[in-house]
Amino acid sequence: MKDFRIEREARGAIQFVRLSGSLDMYSFPRLETQLNALFQQAQYRIILDCADLDYIGSAGLGALIGFAKQAREHQGDVKLLRVPERILKIIELLGFTKVLQVFPDEAAALAAFGSS
Amino acid sequence: MIEANIKGILVCPAQDSLFVRVVGRGTFQNSRPLRSYLQEALNQGIVRFVIDLGACQGMDSTFLGVLAGLGLRLRQMKGGGVQIVNAAPRNLDLLQTLGLDRLLEVSSTAAPAGPGQPMPPANAFQLLSESDVEALTRPLDRDETADLMLEAHENLQKADGRNAQKFQDLTQMLRAGVQRRQEKAKGQP
Repeated sequence: MKDFRIEREARGAIQFVRLSGSLDMYSFPRLETQLNALFQQAQYRIILDCADLDYIGSAGLGALIGFAKQAREHQGDVKLLRVPERILKIIELLGFTKVLQVFPDEAAALAAFGSS
Repeated sequence: MIEANIKGILVCPAQDSLFVRVVGRGTFQNSRPLRSYLQEALNQGIVRFVIDLGACQGMDSTFLGVLAGLGLRLRQMKGGGVQIVNAAPRNLDLLQTLGLDRLLEVSSTAAPAGPGQPMPPANAFQLLSESDVEALTRPLDRDETADLMLEAHENLQKADGRNAQKFQDLTQMLRAGVQRRQEKAKGQP
């Protein structure tokens, strides 16, 4: 099991947050802290790059929904990028794609922000 | 006999006790067979449950909610109990964070406490069908999974009121889905 890691990079008005390892109940508070810190800085346009994520738990998914809703209240969003197939299947199975937007590539995710 | 590299939920009933070993992760993907098996054990009069987390690499909130449901049921029945043994610091922390250490008897030692059957040897356990998430033979059903997740998170909230806020976004989303489904069913002839 890989350790959970977060890397942040600002690209203009959009914050890229790269996630790797397992996003479980144990590691989720670290992401929560990062997202809360961004919100406090009025950064509500966030792309979570999940390419190296190997697991996400049910509570983590639920909390991401909360963050996405919160960001939308401020004309932003939390969008998911390059979600591995096995995690994407879970998100789709639970019907969470109604709230969490998932993009296969960076250009599509950026374009979605551009048009919002 | 269980192979050394097997992953999933292993069970071993012994008289009035049920021993469960979680090997790998306990997640919403293998919570359903566990929930069914626990329910069946309760129906057969088993009231002592020992859950060994020695080989457990982590648990998600749905899995923990299923364990909470068992604890709540036994508390209601005013008999028996759930002992969690071999809880490594990480799993112990999770159980404490969700307040489950007040509902379940949690220990980081290997042996179950008190009277009753001792922990059976590893080769006495059988793999619970559909509990190895890497080798599921049928895809998870969306509605069943959503119902299970909702029930599990409601259990967590019943076990400790502080969990309501932690999982409010998830439970809201799941409840909305259940409601939509019920309305759709009503609308059908």
